[in-house]
Amino acid sequence: MHRGYDGIALVALFLALASPTSARAQEVPTRGGTLVVAISADPGHLNPAITTSGATHTAAELIYNGLLGRDERGDPVPDLAESWTVEQAGAVYRFRLRDGVTWHDGTRFTAADVKFTFEEVLLKFHARTKASMGSVLTGIDTPDDRTVVIRFKQPYAPLLQQLDATEAPIVARHVYQGSDPQTNPANASPIGTGPFKFVAYRKGAEIRLARNPGYFKRGLPYLDEIVMRIIPDSGTQVLALENGEVDFLWGVPGPQQSRLQADNRFRMAQTSYHPGGSNCIMTVSFNLDRPVLKDVRVRRAIALALDREAFLRQILFGEGKVATAPISSEITWAHARGLALPGFDRPEAERQLEVAGWKKERESTRVARGVAGVADGTRLAIDFLHFPTFAKYGELMRQHLSAVGIDVTQRPLEPAVFAPTVFKDRAFDTNVISYCNGPDPEIGVRRMYHSSQIGPAPFTNAAGYRNERVDVLFDQGARTVERDRRTPIYRQIQEIVVQELPYVWLVETPTTRAWSAQCGGFRAWTGLFAEAAFCKR
Amino acid sequence: MLRTPAGAIGLVLTLALVALALLADALAPADPFASVAPPLAPPSRAHAFGTDDLGRDVLAGIIHGTRTSLLVVASVIALAAIIGVAVGAVSGYWTGAVDDVLMRMTDFVLVVPRFFLAVVVIALFGAGTDRLILVLGLTSWPAIARVVRAQTLSLVRREFVDAARALGATDTRVLVRYVLPGALPAALVVISLNAASVILLEAGLSFIGLGDPARMSWGYLANNAQRFLRVAWWVALFPGAAIALAVLGLNLLGDALSEMLEPRAPRPT
Amino acid sequence: MTPRYVLRRLVQVVPAVAGIVLIAFLAIHTAPGDPVLALAGEHGDAAYYAFIRAKFGLDRPLPEQLVVYVTRVARGDLGLSFVHGRPVAVVIAERVPTTLLLIVTALALSTTVGVALGVLAARRAGRPADLALRTGALLAHAMPSFWLAQMAAIAFALGTGWFPVQGLTDARRSLIGWRYALDVAHHLVLPALVLAAGELALTTRLTRTGVLEALATDYARTARAKGLPERAVVRHALRNALLPLVTVVGSRAGLVVTGAVLVETVFAWPGLGQLLLSSIQTRDVPVLLGLFLLASTTVIVANLVTDLAYAWLDPRIRYE
Repeated sequence: MHRGYDGIALVALFLALASPTSARAQEVPTRGGTLVVAISADPGHLNPAITTSGATHTAAELIYNGLLGRDERGDPVPDLAESWTVEQAGAVYRFRLRDGVTWHDGTRFTAADVKFTFEEVLLKFHARTKASMGSVLTGIDTPDDRTVVIRFKQPYAPLLQQLDATEAPIVARHVYQGSDPQTNPANASPIGTGPFKFVAYRKGAEIRLARNPGYFKRGLPYLDEIVMRIIPDSGTQVLALENGEVDFLWGVPGPQQSRLQADNRFRMAQTSYHPGGSNCIMTVSFNLDRPVLKDVRVRRAIALALDREAFLRQILFGEGKVATAPISSEITWAHARGLALPGFDRPEAERQLEVAGWKKERESTRVARGVAGVADGTRLAIDFLHFPTFAKYGELMRQHLSAVGIDVTQRPLEPAVFAPTVFKDRAFDTNVISYCNGPDPEIGVRRMYHSSQIGPAPFTNAAGYRNERVDVLFDQGARTVERDRRTPIYRQIQEIVVQELPYVWLVETPTTRAWSAQCGGFRAWTGLFAEAAFCKR
Repeated sequence: MLRTPAGAIGLVLTLALVALALLADALAPADPFASVAPPLAPPSRAHAFGTDDLGRDVLAGIIHGTRTSLLVVASVIALAAIIGVAVGAVSGYWTGAVDDVLMRMTDFVLVVPRFFLAVVVIALFGAGTDRLILVLGLTSWPAIARVVRAQTLSLVRREFVDAARALGATDTRVLVRYVLPGALPAALVVISLNAASVILLEAGLSFIGLGDPARMSWGYLANNAQRFLRVAWWVALFPGAAIALAVLGLNLLGDALSEMLEPRAPRPT
Repeated sequence: MTPRYVLRRLVQVVPAVAGIVLIAFLAIHTAPGDPVLALAGEHGDAAYYAFIRAKFGLDRPLPEQLVVYVTRVARGDLGLSFVHGRPVAVVIAERVPTTLLLIVTALALSTTVGVALGVLAARRAGRPADLALRTGALLAHAMPSFWLAQMAAIAFALGTGWFPVQGLTDARRSLIGWRYALDVAHHLVLPALVLAAGELALTTRLTRTGVLEALATDYARTARAKGLPERAVVRHALRNALLPLVTVVGSRAGLVVTGAVLVETVFAWPGLGQLLLSSIQTRDVPVLLGLFLLASTTVIVANLVTDLAYAWLDPRIRYE
């Protein structure tokens, strides 16, 4: 793949962006112009603080800022906050806000906006913030207009990863105070602090943004206008890019990627960041309450029977990588290397099943002979629940597992039915879920393994996994602020779950951005992707 | 019917489809669900229609898709026909208050837009072929009922019905043995046109993601293939062509049947 | 057509609409899962759902809920969309003009071209041109519309560059006045043509049949015998042939709306079709039901208008 080129381009961009006003040899930004971006769904409203919906975040993050931003490695950089200190081993975070920041309507931005956003908006409506910070936050103080102090009951490690425009966009107090944030009309004509101001929202068609001349980062943005065009069909998006009607795509369908790569009218970059959820891994869950799946040898056999390279090749067309640990490789400090994850080994899978008491007799599906909790003669048949869009995963599961004598029945369910069936009723054998780890394991990984997270809230511990040691380790990881002290904690967790296999981690699923070669300066790793973008035309 | 080229083509196409559906297992060169070759391979000697993104034989998929699609169509038609013929015959034979009530019901069901109702039902209850058959079957009978009623009304006045009654035949017997067979040809016209629209409806629903992914119907194949239109046209071409041919065949058949019954007379809408 | 007939027809509309509303209500309440989730989305917490339950009276007995629902719908209150944060009626109403533009254009195109082709086919009845025309129209109807749409986009937009691939307007320019109208028209061509193509077959066939019949009547024979030019005879025949056409075009309104959904999706035409799609994906049930009510009412009204027009045009028709 052309990752090498992309790597160089990204590094060059990073260097160019370090000082935006100085001209670098590689990419010289030009001022002005309109960028047309294709988005796949109508967001409905433009307030990213009350929802984790990908559509709203994709369309609206350029209008806002968070206290902090992210660089390409995922580390925090200043945004609305110009500096910060971590006190009391991580129980207190003190932020110094920039001076002279104004909202798009001219009102001064102050610490009161931050306090209001967290207390009245994020902690009530933003699912990830609520779930992670909600229970451990003591309070937020604003000793003066430029200082925000966030206090926790105990040290809270992930905070600095949760303060960008995706996880905690700051909204205006003077706009939302005293109203219901969900129905405030400002949701359709937002006021933010971001590089681009809202101009128009033509429902179902497009969202128009214009440069914010008073943006607090000097010299930025370069573009005059950004238009977010709503094009639901991904084939049409590619056609539009090729026809010059659109300049930037958030994702390119797998089959079309090699074609666009070869066309030097376009540039591409792969990233695991997505406004709807980052660092996602397609994960198969085992319902550990089901007798058939209680034996770890059966679970291991299933893992051994799955050719995950085939999943990557045939479903994702190579866009991504086979998962080598329960935590995404993008969270470099937490991702464990060299784990004893089951590989693809059909004979070994068959052997494990035989030893576990599932014998191959007359027909192709195995039957139980002496399996605890299962009557003799029961066929090894399991069901597999999935969103309709993940049907391909079901088909490959069926193919691969039938080769070792396991019968799989696919059950496609719409998301709103899938969620209660899996997490409330626990009426399933296996399923596949795109579990997004988020920027920190505390945000997206804990909920998969902690025993307190077993339903009924959706997308929590689907396996129903309980392990006291793992619970304790996660609690420790949340309280330890220094990264190098957190790494061994998460390593231990991963070693344990790889042995116990409550899940099978299939593939990591990044997305590929594509854009016209006439444009550049994109930061694919953040929601403020076009803050320093330009188009030469 | 075979006199006109259109009718002949229609008949041939329809019969070919039915044969394909019945003999699917024997005819298909491979298991449609098995990966047998490199994915997205162009048409070749081994795989006449190439392979899809999971390496499955497209021809085998289409042959099996024929069976699934025709099963759906047949079930819908069967359900619609049972209700439609019953309603139409009862309405046309006994007339009066019964006729009034039944026709009001028919008029009502006629205005319910099938596609939208299917969308609502599937969005709320989840995808599934059984749901689809129920929804489409329960909303497709009015056209059949109307035709059967019209035919019954006219047939009932004929002498052979009076004769049968004079010979002591019960109402039911008269209806079943004398009237319905006469009404059948006209009903067949509506049925064949209905079948064509059911195929298109199913394909349309699959395209917007409401199809049943556990079944390999044409709609599912065509939907799956949309992503590959630019890279592997054969995956998209053949399912689309299959749909077009089936709809074409059924329409031509319906037209020819109607020509046969009442040459150049206005057709029931 | 008497005023009594008109009144009777109008009165018949009421139970039809009532039935539709009942179906919509039953759909919400028989669907698996808590109806609260369907109405309020899945990301709320217990307090929020309690609030929604109270607001929609979901803890009240079913018949009472039905009455409340029906009265709200009668007032035009279709509920609140939680995805959009605005009333459903508003969300739907602002997309109607866009879809209407597409549908009306497509119907106009398919009717005029269909009639023209039908006359042509009737005049050359039995000859190869006739068969070619009918088969061609039928083929356009038989092909799935999303297929046709994609092919058209690749061939006439990307291929020749004559037309844009997507959207209502050019994203790069904010035009006003007649320049805006021209831009919209430019974007309208492909979607309207594709949508019209599906409807062409029926119009062509009906016109052809109608004209052929009318040409075979005694009236036509007399006219010919009197020396009237063939063109004039055909014109008169056409006028009579248009009668069944009126019925059909009216009753096809419902199907055209369906076709519009698929065409709008491929061409990113920002109308009701795209709204339908997005409300399915986000499980925005209030909008979904609102669209269902709208589509059904449209069909009912179209049928009503058609019946009235038919009765007005042909005084020979008597209805019981």
